[in-house]
Amino acid sequence: MKEMSEKVKKLLNEGKIKGFVGLKQQHGQPGPHLFTKENIADLESLVVGDVRYALNKVLLKLAHRYPKDRFGVMVRGCDERGLNELFKWNQLSRDRVVPVGIACSPALAEACECYKPYPTEWVVGEKTEGIIRSKRLENNEKLNQDERLQYWMEQFNKCIKCYGCRDACPMCFCKVCSIQDRNFILTGKLPPENPTFHLSRAIHMVGRCIDCGLCEEACPSDIPVRTLYKKVGKIVEDLFDYKTGDEPEEKSPLNLLGEPTLDISDVNK
Amino acid sequence: MGNEATNQATNLEKFEPKIIAFLCNWCSYAGADLAGVSRMQYPPSTRTVRVMCTGTISPHHILKAFQKGADGVIVAGCHIGDCHYLKGNYMTIKRVAILQELLKFTGLQEERLFLNWVSAAEGVRFAEMIRTFTQKIKELGPSHLRTSY
Repeated sequence: MKEMSEKVKKLLNEGKIKGFVGLKQQHGQPGPHLFTKENIADLESLVVGDVRYALNKVLLKLAHRYPKDRFGVMVRGCDERGLNELFKWNQLSRDRVVPVGIACSPALAEACECYKPYPTEWVVGEKTEGIIRSKRLENNEKLNQDERLQYWMEQFNKCIKCYGCRDACPMCFCKVCSIQDRNFILTGKLPPENPTFHLSRAIHMVGRCIDCGLCEEACPSDIPVRTLYKKVGKIVEDLFDYKTGDEPEEKSPLNLLGEPTLDISDVNK
Repeated sequence: MGNEATNQATNLEKFEPKIIAFLCNWCSYAGADLAGVSRMQYPPSTRTVRVMCTGTISPHHILKAFQKGADGVIVAGCHIGDCHYLKGNYMTIKRVAILQELLKFTGLQEERLFLNWVSAAEGVRFAEMIRTFTQKIKELGPSHLRTSY
């Protein structure tokens, strides 16, 4: 795990980056931290392992606050997909971000059902083969229509409307949130209006969700939101042949008008 | 038991679906108007919402309609290439296609959401669309969201 701190130290000392967004052991647990040249000794408690955090979200805040500076960030496969999308959605500037890669362990890749658990370049870890078929999605699709409705309504109704999924999501960068809009979602009511609440969020994940699964980890009610967003990703892939976050240039289907790719015969099946 | 079954049967026969129709100002609303002034007969099941372009309809609106107890939702706009705002309906078709898949996945019967292109001259097509869609919703029965949740 030394390689990562060596690399970060080099970048900081050479002045290539102003700061590095990573995880640091603090208050007895790993948390996000900005490593700087002034406090280079902090790097000794840099955490490199299977702990995950929405570092891109921290990076977004920093980039808005210091638009002229360049920052480094620790990236996994999912974080790199997230960065790609954030660049394309004009939230971050490509030349102001220096990713330092880490490949995930096989155990983590298995738990995440991640199809690409490694970034393009990494300094720590070994390449693990991705998992293409998602068991949880397949199990869900086996149910018939009534069972699916019952299952999802049961899950959705566990929601306590804490907005944890949104707050943990590295791709939720909107300044005004639709699922907090009182015209769409009634205030002061629990559980929230289902399925509108969760499906609205799912719709917003079209061409954005990079399948990191932090939403599900954040959920205090254990709603399998990740399965829902995995499906969203699959729908986009099937309909538009677009794999969210994989392409560094091509914009997501709902991000641009483009030319008509679908015909009326493709809907109302 | 038998009584209940007959009750249910009569309930189903009596069932008048509530359908929300989002019609675009330039084509489908005019199409509906044409159907009206031509005195074409179609079931009084739809509640029309006129929008300037189908591209302005967010999936939230469609979901909200279902949430509030609509048995079906129709989205109708100009034919591809005829949009008053040139490309508004390009977006509509993508959104509806995605939303239908999502409704299917969560067991909400994607057949209840229907997208069609109806131009201002197609009054007959409009009346026919309402007839067939109302019939389909009658066969599907009331929305589960209204009855069970």
